[in-house]
Amino acid sequence: MKKLALAVSLALATTGVALAQEKTIKIAGFGAKTGPVRSFGVNSEAAMLAAADVINKQGGVRLADGSKAKMVVEFYDDRCTAEEGISIIRRVHGTDALVAVGPTCSNVAEPLYGILQKKADDKSDSGLQMPIFTDVAVKGGLAKISEWAFRNVPSEMTMYSSLFYWLKSKYPNAQTIYGGVEEDFAHSRASWYAVMKDRAEANGYKVLGNSKWLLADSNFATQVREMKNANADIVAIAAHPFTTCGVLKEMQRQGVKPKVLIGLTSSSSMETMQGCAKQAEGMIIPTSFAPVTKDGKFAAETTAKFKGSADLHSMAAWENMFILKDVIESEKVAGTKGELQADRRKIRDGLAKLKETKGLLGVTKRTDDREADKPYLFVHAAKGEWKVLHNPL
Amino acid sequence: MLDFLQAVSDGMLFGATYALIGIGFTLVFGVMHKLNLSYAAASIGAAYSGLLILKVFAAAPAWAVFLSAFVGGGVIGYLVYLTCFHFIPLSNPLAPLMSTVGMFLLIDEVIVHATNGMPQNYPAMFDDVMIRAGGYTLRGDLLLVFGLSVLCMIGLLALLYRTKLGLATRAVSQQPVAAQLCGIRVARVNAMTFVVTGLVGGIAGAMMGAAVGALSPVLTAPLTVKGLIVTVIGGLGSIPGAIIAGLLVGGLENVFQLYRGVTERDLYVMLLLFVFLVFRPGGIFTAKSGRD
Repeated sequence: MKKLALAVSLALATTGVALAQEKTIKIAGFGAKTGPVRSFGVNSEAAMLAAADVINKQGGVRLADGSKAKMVVEFYDDRCTAEEGISIIRRVHGTDALVAVGPTCSNVAEPLYGILQKKADDKSDSGLQMPIFTDVAVKGGLAKISEWAFRNVPSEMTMYSSLFYWLKSKYPNAQTIYGGVEEDFAHSRASWYAVMKDRAEANGYKVLGNSKWLLADSNFATQVREMKNANADIVAIAAHPFTTCGVLKEMQRQGVKPKVLIGLTSSSSMETMQGCAKQAEGMIIPTSFAPVTKDGKFAAETTAKFKGSADLHSMAAWENMFILKDVIESEKVAGTKGELQADRRKIRDGLAKLKETKGLLGVTKRTDDREADKPYLFVHAAKGEWKVLHNPL
Repeated sequence: MLDFLQAVSDGMLFGATYALIGIGFTLVFGVMHKLNLSYAAASIGAAYSGLLILKVFAAAPAWAVFLSAFVGGGVIGYLVYLTCFHFIPLSNPLAPLMSTVGMFLLIDEVIVHATNGMPQNYPAMFDDVMIRAGGYTLRGDLLLVFGLSVLCMIGLLALLYRTKLGLATRAVSQQPVAAQLCGIRVARVNAMTFVVTGLVGGIAGAMMGAAVGALSPVLTAPLTVKGLIVTVIGGLGSIPGAIIAGLLVGGLENVFQLYRGVTERDLYVMLLLFVFLVFRPGGIFTAKSGRD
């Protein structure tokens, strides 16, 4: 009997030690895993899980008391809808997650940031006090909505400005540009009207006009005819892969062959290659990720093991995990239930303090309005793959 | 003027895909007096199933993909019948309507999960053929879509008016109780109607994929709406009506887009629907026969 009691006590003690060692830090991920943009959520989740796996294999994250904790990712599907995104963050706020990484869509990010506390020290503001570190939603300038919102997305303004500047020297005979825009998608719209068009004009190109279509359109004959009539040297398509492919195929049918074809950042993914690799041949897109560095290749390979593909969006999720690890360690996060809200505040403050972070293409500068100034390069579609065309940095 | 003519002809040719979807809606409604709201999604699902042949024979020609979609459409049509109609109490009109809404969402999500929402390249026939007359052009692949939809209409009319199955279908459509008393197996006729509309849907989905050059789950909802508009404008239960309304909606849609822009286009298409509902609620071709 005594032996049995001893064995039970030993077993309990061992379990207790094991439990004590298995401290966890929960990171919530959220993005679209339903609907036509599902691949974004799937890839972000895979990248976050892959990064957590690497971090945990290296021993985990160090907490304030010197102990180590494993990073755990819990991913939620926001279906690319604002109401679901807001509901998820309210739910996540009630759990022990320290920070949330997401969302996929800008139309979720914008209202979601709106429910967060505007200024971190404003006691009269009852907004949610939860740090959000966005990996995908790319519409410009959103993080200024709340001091709890941070983004690690590329600056399209900088990237397209640089692209048009480079095109000036590369194609000196190209003088005119025509746009094609997916009118009902926040990112595409903002990218054409506020970024591509503006930057093209700033670089001396004459904008001849633009054609519009909708995200679920299937007939692009009229729009491409307008494009053909404009006969511009450069055609810039600010649309997501499905309609980009539809337009490219119609351009092929109608024989529209501009000197330069430019695409939207989000189209530098496998989706475009899957839908219309042949027609996309030569399309140039600025991107904040390509597996050209040792770290980049490793991140892409590790993410692939978690059934995700590496692109500018999913690799931002990968980077976010490592940035968060550093912030948790530098800000001495306790990782206990009692300190949950204080830890969230520490993470917010830690993210706000960052002046630069380590990215897969190099150093990312952090701006005062909590946005990222990421390194980038230009890729082009060549034989069914995205290949690096030029590295402006 | 040339732009107008081009917009009308492009739209009408593309409208042939709406017509095919309209035929499916109208046939089921004509026979069972029920709306199958999952029809357009099932058609796109069938088009996706056509791509499966490329997994086995990577070099399979476009016609093999279309044929595979055609067969897939029939299978999906039968499954939709079993799950949404056969075991559902048809006396409650809301029950099959809601079950088909559920099926619509289910098919949509199955596609999304199977492809991660990624657009899939879709083969086409005669896509390199362009008939030109000055600045005016006609797409070869859309002419094929148009031709196929006309063939489908002829085939369906022949099936309805020249075969025993057609006779039984018309009998069930007009007098289901009397048809049953005459020894017609109503459930079998209903199932066959779904298989036939599924086959047509398979062609419609494949033609839609071929016309765009790619398939995406984003197509299902707008195609459902267009199919329903075509069915109402053409006249519920009328196959020629669905064809004419499909071409009409396709053509007008392009004209509205040309003159009022893409953001107002659908507004005018909806207005057209309301005009029909108010002034000609039976559609262009009101069904002659009644039903018990």
